[in-house]
Amino acid sequence: MYRSSNIVARIFDRQICTPAPGTSVHHARRFYENLVPSYTVYEVECPDHSFRKFTDDGQYLISFSRNHQELIVFRPRWLSFSCNDEDCDKHDLPSKAKKFDSFFSQLYCVPLASCNELICKDFFLYMESNQFGLFATSTAQIHDAPAVGGAVHGVPSIEKITFHLLRLEDGEILDKKVFCNDFVNLTHNMGVFLYDDLLAIVSLRYQTIHILQIRDSGNLVDVRAIGEFCREDDELFLNSNAQHQLPGNHIENHIHQDQPNLGHSFLSGIKQRLLSFIFRGLWNEERDDTLRIQRLRKNFYFHFQDYVDLIIWKVQFLDRHHLLIKFGSVDGGPQVSRNADHHPAFVAVYNMDTTEIVSFYQNSADELYLLFEQFCDHFHATSRNSMYMNFISSHSNNIHALEQLRSIKDKASSSSQFVKKMLASLPFSCQSQSPSPYFDQSLFRFDDKLISATDRHRQSTDHPIKFILRRHPYSLKFKIKPGPEAGSMDGRAKKISSFLFHPILPLALSVQQTLFLQPSVVNIHFRR
Amino acid sequence: MESVLGNWPSYDPHNFSQLRPSDPSSSSKMTPATYHPTHSKTLPPPDQVISTEAKNILLRHIYQHAEEKLKPKRAASENLLPEHGCKQPRVSS
Repeated sequence: MYRSSNIVARIFDRQICTPAPGTSVHHARRFYENLVPSYTVYEVECPDHSFRKFTDDGQYLISFSRNHQELIVFRPRWLSFSCNDEDCDKHDLPSKAKKFDSFFSQLYCVPLASCNELICKDFFLYMESNQFGLFATSTAQIHDAPAVGGAVHGVPSIEKITFHLLRLEDGEILDKKVFCNDFVNLTHNMGVFLYDDLLAIVSLRYQTIHILQIRDSGNLVDVRAIGEFCREDDELFLNSNAQHQLPGNHIENHIHQDQPNLGHSFLSGIKQRLLSFIFRGLWNEERDDTLRIQRLRKNFYFHFQDYVDLIIWKVQFLDRHHLLIKFGSVDGGPQVSRNADHHPAFVAVYNMDTTEIVSFYQNSADELYLLFEQFCDHFHATSRNSMYMNFISSHSNNIHALEQLRSIKDKASSSSQFVKKMLASLPFSCQSQSPSPYFDQSLFRFDDKLISATDRHRQSTDHPIKFILRRHPYSLKFKIKPGPEAGSMDGRAKKISSFLFHPILPLALSVQQTLFLQPSVVNIHFRR
Repeated sequence: MESVLGNWPSYDPHNFSQLRPSDPSSSSKMTPATYHPTHSKTLPPPDQVISTEAKNILLRHIYQHAEEKLKPKRAASENLLPEHGCKQPRVSS
């Protein structure tokens, strides 16, 4: 532990003291208490793009053009200038410090979307090992689309969704994957999960989980599609058996010509796995046959149609072989917390290799909540390549975050409501948290409602957001104030701000937007 | 001054003056006793390989819970251990 908070003393300590085993990163991170982005350049003259985020290795800044058709990538660099006087600190920064170009250099501008498509600006996934970026473009959403070809009622349809895989080094488009007349929830990366080189894309409309692999060469390769079929050869097996039945059903086939050959008398593969798992679980609870049947009647057959009507809402990887799947009713909607009370939701763990459901929990299950409380980090499936993911504060690895959680738990009026609210965040979305050490709860204390590691737009206030040291001397280290220096003139307009923290350097951008047509105000916070 | 520490400089020349130099007679006293096993019951099997468990701890717990639920219950203990009362993850037996 560093005794002094003086940076020079800490550097000397670092020369002689070895940190306790397993804490070398935590020890090194404490230098961020000394190097903070305390200086703000307000209202930087910058190009009018919508800035999305810094990549998790800090190499690139991703932004999209205002018309959502082009991708512009910048390289973050540092302001440099020279000063001849003796006491340089007293001087103001040169005027070029107010320019965006001094901090970022544009690498390239690539058009991704063609005329009727738009880039989904909430969607971006980064594969750090190869520096590949995954982007999505889509055409307009069609609500009330007819449910044809196995589609689910109530889910909108998009004529064309394209996923683009780019090499961020030079902006070359390596591969594309197109989904036609489908719907994938692209906001905040909700419908897609990247783990290592595996990508899981949830097609809500056709209730299929597409597993793809991103190869080093940049190709997107289909691995499997879980939904109607679980194993790769299921379709072949069913087709070969269906052919034997054709002669008998010939007349009926003529009448129902728009239905595919297999007919939809079978439930989808994943649904069958789920129902048989629930059945077996209930069967095993009793030894006596009469009691078994009673239990099945009450817990299974009574709710049978509800189970059949469940649809896959969201998916994440737990490791390379296991998926965590959220099932809910069609009316539930992908937005989670508000609807948690009225619509039951379930979470299942599915093994892709054995195609078995391992467990199935309702979203109010205490057992699942205990796992969530103790092993939250393992729900944020971290790939082997990104070490920093292990250091993002969560209530499983940080005492302060755990205290926060416990205080919410104690204040909650009903325990089951609390459990539902917490479990509503499962499955987690991929790459939604910033690895910046300034969000490390053991280093700094900050107001969670105003700013946090999760990259979401927030209601902005005129007051600066304070970052206070967790440790002695508990002082205010730096403030982040979004918006213009003097505060905005129009106090009534609703303002939303977003914060982009560089993962390594003491550099942050705060972007404040009012109405859609007005340009946003960008401030740069850095260590002077 | 001859000592175990040799002629290293010291703030006070009287420090370390109590230490006696090591000599052959005392070195045998300093040798710690060695314990030899009298049986080979605790030897690991010759083909044992120790490796990291591939499943992470979360999945291990999930599988454990699943196995406990699928094990058919014994009739005698049905009333004693209600299913829903179990809130702590049990260590595998």
